[in-house]
Amino acid sequence: MIAEMREALQAVLGDVSEPILLAGGASKEAWAVDAGGERLLVRRAAGGVIHRHTLSLEHEFEVLKAAFEAGVKVPRPILYIESLEGREAFVMERLEGETIGRRIVRMEAPTQLPLQLAEELAKIHAIPRDRLPFLEEAQLERMMDELDDVGDPHPAIELGLWWLRENRPERREPVVNHGDYRIGNVVIDENGLVGVLDWEFAHIDDPVRDLGFGLVRAWRFGVDDKRLGGIADADAYVDRYNELTGLDVGPQELDYWELAGNVAWAIGCLTQAQRHLRGQDRSVELAVLGRLGAEVEYEICHLLEKLAT
Amino acid sequence: MSERPTAQELTEAIAEFLGGEILPTLDDQRLRFRTLVAMNALSIVYRELDALPPEDDSERRELARRIRAGDVEPGTLARVKADVEARLRVNSPRALERY
Repeated sequence: MIAEMREALQAVLGDVSEPILLAGGASKEAWAVDAGGERLLVRRAAGGVIHRHTLSLEHEFEVLKAAFEAGVKVPRPILYIESLEGREAFVMERLEGETIGRRIVRMEAPTQLPLQLAEELAKIHAIPRDRLPFLEEAQLERMMDELDDVGDPHPAIELGLWWLRENRPERREPVVNHGDYRIGNVVIDENGLVGVLDWEFAHIDDPVRDLGFGLVRAWRFGVDDKRLGGIADADAYVDRYNELTGLDVGPQELDYWELAGNVAWAIGCLTQAQRHLRGQDRSVELAVLGRLGAEVEYEICHLLEKLAT
Repeated sequence: MSERPTAQELTEAIAEFLGGEILPTLDDQRLRFRTLVAMNALSIVYRELDALPPEDDSERRELARRIRAGDVEPGTLARVKADVEARLRVNSPRALERY
């Protein structure tokens, strides 16, 4: 497998080192390879069926290019490959640093990290929509469709969705959303943010959707009292974002989108488990997510209690 | 049937993992044997679970349907939370300690 991959990569990149398959990523493979003195990462489709609201690698590569052009800190996009050993793939720069959430929250977090997260997000939200015409606009209704598609009853998620329908904030002009902007999808080193990864959930949405998603408890990796990804409270992050974008996101709106993020992730756990249960991608890891979703449902209840007082 | 994967589906996933991903990597004859024994033990659990009646989720289903329809009576949140808490005691009891 490795020899074939090396040969296939050599056909497009010239002489390359022996590719190493990196751990993690249920729906995508990641190969580390060096070519022409450059450290590269090859992101390639895995065998399973792609979730219907994730981008194809071709579109993800387009989003990465647009982000790079907009000056967002991202791995430099290099090449899209329609068929690499029979599956689509793209090549990008391989950034150095830490991506594992559990480790990041235990690092001596650079004090500027919350500000850097706000700065990159402001740049992402400034990417012109018409640069990425294939991106779909998300709605609350889409989450209900996804839940219906799972088919099992989840009253806590229903209650979260009901509250979100009843308490919609005033509509903001939708922007390009990263879609999964949080600790775990960014590269961090001792100087802070190195790059933003994993653009497969990019879509058009309310800007505060992206801003609030990083506050979801699941992305605090056990450091629950630090609302922003287990690294800091949210104040400096939101203030900096408001300053850069000219928006006036306040605490209530942030609470709304933190709840929305939890509802989205609770449904995400169920749809991941469905990939296992429907035989698209058999894996204990995906199966167990179906049960761990109860943690997110509990958080939904906890947030709803706070919102009711 | 409400909590998915069911206990039986979880044993199935573990058995597939052991047989498909672990066993082929083992050269040590003793470990190979013990893994096969573990898989056999899992298949006992699987068959035992097969004999149990399926969980009745009609109440949960009705509650979900009513909330979707916008019929949210006072006390709904407390009821829903108690149900999630009971599931969490099985699925991830340590998560409860963090509140």
